[in-house]
Amino acid sequence: MKRPVLVRRHRPLRGGQPLAFAVGLILALAVGAVLLMAADHEPLRVYQRMFEKSLGDQNAWSLTLNRAVPLGLAGLAVAVAGSMGLWNIGAEGQILAGAMGAAWVARIGGTWPGPMLLTGMLVGAVIGGGLLALVPAMARARIGVNEIITTLMLNEIALRLLQWLIHGPWKDPDSYNFPLTPLLPDQAHLPTLFGRAHFGVIIAGAVILVFGVAASRTAWGYELRVAGSSADTARYAGISLKRKILTVLLLSGGVAGLAGGVELSGTADRLTEGISNGFGYAGIIVAALALMRPSGVAAVALLFGAVQVGGQSIQIIGVPASVSTILQAFILFGAIGAGVFVRYSLRLVPMGVDASGEGEIAA
Amino acid sequence: MSQAAAVELVDIWKRFPGVVANAGANLRVERGTVHAVLGENGAGKSTLMNVLSGVYRPDEGEVRLDGTPQRFHTPADALAAGIGMVHQEFRLVPSFTVAENVVLGSAERILRRQDVEARVDEVARRFGLATEPDRPVWQLSMGERQRVEILKALWRDARILILDEPTAVLTPNEADELGEVLRHMADDGRSVIFISHKLHEVTGFCDVATVLRGGETVAASLPVAETDAATLANLMVGSTSLAGERPPSRTPGEVRLAVSGLCALGDRGLPTLHDVDLEVRSGEIVGIAGVAGNGQRELAQVAAGLRGATAGSVHLDGKDVTSAPPRRRFGLGLCYIPEDRIGVGLAPRLSVVENAVLRTYKGHRRGPFLVGSRLTAYCRDLVERFGVRTGALGDPIAGLSGGNLQRLLVGRELSGRPDVVVAAQPTRGLDVQGVKAIQDLLVAERDAGAAVLLISEDLDELLTLADRLLVMHEGRIVAAFDPMDSERSVIGEAMAGHLADEGAA
Repeated sequence: MKRPVLVRRHRPLRGGQPLAFAVGLILALAVGAVLLMAADHEPLRVYQRMFEKSLGDQNAWSLTLNRAVPLGLAGLAVAVAGSMGLWNIGAEGQILAGAMGAAWVARIGGTWPGPMLLTGMLVGAVIGGGLLALVPAMARARIGVNEIITTLMLNEIALRLLQWLIHGPWKDPDSYNFPLTPLLPDQAHLPTLFGRAHFGVIIAGAVILVFGVAASRTAWGYELRVAGSSADTARYAGISLKRKILTVLLLSGGVAGLAGGVELSGTADRLTEGISNGFGYAGIIVAALALMRPSGVAAVALLFGAVQVGGQSIQIIGVPASVSTILQAFILFGAIGAGVFVRYSLRLVPMGVDASGEGEIAA
Repeated sequence: MSQAAAVELVDIWKRFPGVVANAGANLRVERGTVHAVLGENGAGKSTLMNVLSGVYRPDEGEVRLDGTPQRFHTPADALAAGIGMVHQEFRLVPSFTVAENVVLGSAERILRRQDVEARVDEVARRFGLATEPDRPVWQLSMGERQRVEILKALWRDARILILDEPTAVLTPNEADELGEVLRHMADDGRSVIFISHKLHEVTGFCDVATVLRGGETVAASLPVAETDAATLANLMVGSTSLAGERPPSRTPGEVRLAVSGLCALGDRGLPTLHDVDLEVRSGEIVGIAGVAGNGQRELAQVAAGLRGATAGSVHLDGKDVTSAPPRRRFGLGLCYIPEDRIGVGLAPRLSVVENAVLRTYKGHRRGPFLVGSRLTAYCRDLVERFGVRTGALGDPIAGLSGGNLQRLLVGRELSGRPDVVVAAQPTRGLDVQGVKAIQDLLVAERDAGAAVLLISEDLDELLTLADRLLVMHEGRIVAAFDPMDSERSVIGEAMAGHLADEGAA
């Protein structure tokens, strides 16, 4: 008798991640085809539409890019923290905080000229997200409180704060009692690039590029990698862990906050409870798939965005929302699942033999 | 014919990729005895016990209980055969009570709380293990938790109990109590295997001792009452290194590293260094001998700035650096070769280049950017100069062998021509060539005028390299020797805590 065992590779398979994506994608589409046929749809037609509506023309691309912006920024936020071994699970709340920060600037600066107002809103968004991350950052840096729990719990607090604002002090008096803020002033919208794509695409691309360069090319990024690899080694080399933890978590919160601000002034026209749409949680998946690397984050966010846009487009031709969601999940799951084999290889081992010395993780 | 022993491990071999952990180890434990298994770190004690408790299957050799050969596939098989293991890290559920932890996982389905508590209490009393069965485990001290672990084994009616370094977490009083509990169990006809490298406990609690070194049994079932601690210490330390030529000494220069009245806490918050004084001069190697776990590691860490001092001072070239961070000490010419190569000295998962520049990366900056070509050039130079055999420099260091990892680490530390070298176990676990290479580097550094503090568990290495030899025992420096003119046995006595009349530092 033999049993299958996953054994850690000595080094990740070279160029394995894109390959894993491709394999996972194909498998997911195959499984999805069965699902679609069971739901009385022609898989090829559905897939063709998904592709056309997400990547088929300029308009489709603009939708995909717009969707990739918050996913990419949230993914970057998680990846920045992840590169030194910290988990920011609070990107969702930080996005809301960022959106609130931007909305607050829009309230007080409704008459400012466009560039000034937009800059102010984005700065407000970064500060909002950063403020929400401040408490977990300090708690982690000073007394070692697990940031996973604190950032996660603050999501709930940010959501309640947002609900209170839009049900109370910031509610639009002309909204017939719907929990909405008034429409943003016209000059508070990000300029359009092409199709529906807004300027946030440039902002997100630039921020990801800056972090990518900082992480891989600067002394700061190097120190981050050392600290992420081993806290003891960092201490040995004289790298201040406290300062690193503080700055990294604040930056992470700020980037997530920026996602909220860009989303508000780019695609929404007012602040609502649904401003984030789960981007913060999706960002965790984006970062994990990108192996915490900024360059990977951009690629994964684009894939993610295309899948979401394509998935929504097939609801119009009668594919139920649930099937579309399952299909999206398959595609992402396939890509993640195949990604495991980049770092682990599958081996058959006779029953009863212990392979833990070789890095076995699962039986 | 004598009666079959409770446990016999015959000619056990266990190989892991790149390491032979057990190379024909033997162990014979009689019923009703407390049997010490002694050995340095890496001597193969844990592997051998894992073979006995069913965690590993031996590549060769046989496990016999009461004369019957056994084939354990899982730890559960060994448990069913009456082998209980108390690990160093406890495996208890903190929110459960003592009684709940004890019965957890044993076969009974229906549990009435009072019944279980009464029965656990009964077993506990029988062996003199004072506990309160209804208290949650999180409220208990380390010593009490250990008793719960022992109770767990007794509850499953373990006839053979293995304790892996059981006193590491205990206060001295708790350790003495443990000794009494073990005696009770032996008197009850059970066998206790006591893994340790603390000699006074072995002489205090145990009847018989087996010594392992390099995966082999070097002394089997010595009666403890008739063996002195120095003999045991010498057996453990052995002569693993090459008894090479003694490099000629230099005349030492001025004091580079001065430690005085130094006290520090260990990892578990207990006082581990007591009032340590020492000086290392330019051009000399001062060796620190001692059985592992007597404060040597902590001494090196305090000197390097990775562990705080609770009293006393550290001076580098006359400057007080007692509270200076590691980077400042490095800047003042102190380099440190830590005991834990990977995880302290080297960052796992990072590349050869990234590890090579750990001390000097700030010097390869242009603005905020690191200049990749300069990093690579620096690393290539280091790798060539110190003979590190490596694949691509951008690959993770995980692919390097132990000897090459150490060459990279030592090379990185020594390349800046340090004034003071603190080296903790720099040759442990290396092959013959690796040992020689690292030793030569340390001697060359001394000859170039560095002050070297060499901490080693290998007495022969110290006798070959050191110009002066200090012995540490229980966190104190208890003796000083001239390595040219000292008997191994006398040094062994000092390592075991038995002081000769003269010779105290």
